[in-house]
Amino acid sequence: MTTRSQAIDVSGETRARRSLYWQYMVEPFLYLSPAIVLIGTVMLIPLIVGISYSFQAIELLNPFNTGWVGLENYQQLWSDRKFWIALENTFWWTFWSISFQFLLGLGLAMLLNTQFYGKKLFQALVFLPWAVPTFLSALTWAWLFNPVIGPLPHWMVALGILSEPYNIMGDPEIAMWGPIVANIWFGVPFFAITLLAALQSIPSELYEAAEIDGASAWQTFTKITLPFLAPMIAITVMLRTIWIANFADLIYVMTGGGPANSTQIVSSYIFTTAFRKLDFGYASAIAVALLFILLIYAVILLWLRKKLVKI
Amino acid sequence: MARIELRNVVKRYGAVEVLRDINLDVEDGEFIVLVGPSGCGKSTLLRMIAGLEPITAGDFMIDDIRMNDVRPRDRDIAMVFQSYALYPHMDVARNMGFSMEIRKDPATERASRVKQAADTLGLTALTERLPKALSGGQRQRVAMGRAIIRDPRAFLFDEPLSNLDAALRVEMRLEIARLHQKLGATMIYVTHDQVEALTLADRIVVLNGGDIQQVGSPLDLYERPANKFVAQFIGSPTMNLVPIKGRPEGVTLADGALLKLPHLPDSPDAIELGIRPEHIEVTDQGDLSGIADVVEHLGSDTNIYLNVEKLGPLMVRKHGNIPIRPGERVGLRIQPENVHLFAPDGSALRRASPNMAA
Repeated sequence: MTTRSQAIDVSGETRARRSLYWQYMVEPFLYLSPAIVLIGTVMLIPLIVGISYSFQAIELLNPFNTGWVGLENYQQLWSDRKFWIALENTFWWTFWSISFQFLLGLGLAMLLNTQFYGKKLFQALVFLPWAVPTFLSALTWAWLFNPVIGPLPHWMVALGILSEPYNIMGDPEIAMWGPIVANIWFGVPFFAITLLAALQSIPSELYEAAEIDGASAWQTFTKITLPFLAPMIAITVMLRTIWIANFADLIYVMTGGGPANSTQIVSSYIFTTAFRKLDFGYASAIAVALLFILLIYAVILLWLRKKLVKI
Repeated sequence: MARIELRNVVKRYGAVEVLRDINLDVEDGEFIVLVGPSGCGKSTLLRMIAGLEPITAGDFMIDDIRMNDVRPRDRDIAMVFQSYALYPHMDVARNMGFSMEIRKDPATERASRVKQAADTLGLTALTERLPKALSGGQRQRVAMGRAIIRDPRAFLFDEPLSNLDAALRVEMRLEIARLHQKLGATMIYVTHDQVEALTLADRIVVLNGGDIQQVGSPLDLYERPANKFVAQFIGSPTMNLVPIKGRPEGVTLADGALLKLPHLPDSPDAIELGIRPEHIEVTDQGDLSGIADVVEHLGSDTNIYLNVEKLGPLMVRKHGNIPIRPGERVGLRIQPENVHLFAPDGSALRRASPNMAA
C-alpha cells in the first residue's frame, strides 16, 4: 500500500514539474514568437550577415577570388594608415559637432522656455533646419563656403579669421570645419527640441523654492536645471554621437573625404571602400570596428548616467 | 522677527482684478491664517508677500521698509509649499541646508544647523534619504526644516497639510503650532480648511472674491461674524439660515412665531436669521417643531437634519447620543442669545453688547 502511494506521488511530482517547465520556460516564448521572428529577420540576420562579410573576401572587381579569409581583413585594417586617419577625423568631427550642437541647443532651449512675443513663430523657425534634406543643406553650405559665390570666406577675412578669402574646404588643415559648421547648423534643432521638452517637465515650484532659498540665476541653473536635464542630456548625447559618427552625407557631398583624406571619417571611408572600390569584405571589417568602438562608448555613457543621475 | 504691513494692495492679471484693496497688519510673532474658498485669492496674496507674484498696486512693508520690488531672496522670508517643492536629486540634509549652501556658509556650520533642525523635526535617521524615499508627512517635515534652518524673519505656509491624510494632518497641525510657540516667529498660513484656521491662528483673515471679509480672532469670527459669508464659512457644521421678518422687539419666523431678541436692537432691518446647529436645543416646550429627516450618530455628537414646516430644512447638533429616529417629530428651541441677524446686503446686524454671547 505504502509503496503504491509513493509511486503515484513520484509520477504526480514529475508531471507537475514538467508542466511547470512548460508553463514558465517554453510557453512565454511561444507568445513572443511573432515579435522574435520579426526582430530576428529585420535586425539580427542582416547584422550577422554583415559581420560575416568582414571575414570574407568580396570584391566585385575581383569576382573569382571570393571566400572565407579569416581575420585577413582585420589584419589589413590594423596596418591601414587611412583607417587610423579616418578614426582620428571621426573623433574630432563627432566631438566638435556634438559639443557645439549641444551647447547651442541648450541655449536655444532655455530661450524658448521663456515667454516672449512671437515665440511660436520663432520656435517653428528654429526647428526648420531639421526638416531640410541633408543633401540640400550640404550643397547650400558648400556654396556658402565657396569664395566665388558665397559670403562666408569674405566675412571670415573681415573678422581676421582668414588671411585671404579662399575656400576652407580646400585647406587640409581646416577643411573639416566646413562640414562641422554645416552639421552644427543641421543638428542644433534636435537638442533644442529634446532639451526644451525636458526643461518644460521641471516643476516650477522648484525654481520658486530656489528663488526663496536665495539662489542666483547661475546657481539655479547648475543646482536645479542641470541635474534635472542630466538624464536627457546623457541619452541625447549618446544617440547623437552614434548618429554623427555614422553620418557621412554632409562630408560626402561637401568634400568627398578630401582634400588628401583630411575630412575622411570612418563611415565615409566605409562608403568609399564599399561603393567606389567595391570591396565589401574590407568595408564590412571597418564597419564592425566602428560598431565596437561605438558600443564601448555607449556602455561607458550609460554607466556614467547610472552613476550621476539620481532622479 | 518681523512686522508685515499691507496697504491698499491690489493684484490684477490684465483686466481681471484678483485682489482688491487689501489692508492688513501682521504683528511681530503673530500667527495669521488666510482662509477662504478656492479662487478667493489667498494663495496669490501669500505669493505676493513671498515675492513670487508682482504686486500691482499698493504698498507691502516688512518692518516699515517697502518691499514691493525687492526680490524674494532679499526679503528674508521662508516658504513651505503645498507640493513641498523638495529638490528630488538632493538628500534630506542637502535639501534642508540648501539655502546655506547657496550662501556658501562653512560646511561644519551647515552640518550642525541641519542636524539641529533634523532633531527638532524628528528627521535625524532620514538625513541621507532622497525625497522619493520619504512618506508624505516626512516630506512635509523636510519642507519645514528647510524653512527653519534659515531663521527667517517670517514663515509663509501655502496649504501645507492639504496633501496629507486626516490623521497625519492633525499631527502636523500640532507640530506647526508647537513650532510657532518655540520659534515665536511671524507666520502667515494659507488654508481652505477652517479647522486648521481655527486651531492655529492668533487671527484669521477671511477672504472671498478678492476682498477681505473679516479679520479677527477665531472666537471673534465664530461669535461675531461680520457678514453672512463669514458666518457660513466659519464653524462646522454650517450655520442655519432662516428667512424672517424684522420687528422692533425681535423677529417673526415664517410660521408666525415671535422670537424676542433684546440684544439685537437693529432687528427691524433683518431679513435672515442665522443660528448655529449647536445653538438649537431639542426640547418638548420649544417654539418650533420639525420632522427628523436624517440622524447621524457620531458618538460624541448627534447630527439631526430636520424639516420644519414653512421654515425649510434645519440642522441641529446635540452633544452626546440622542435617541431620535428618522421620521420622529422633534421640538426645538432657538437660543435667542446666540442668534445672528443679517440685513438684505448680507452684513450682520449690530449687537447690543460684544460680550453677550456665551
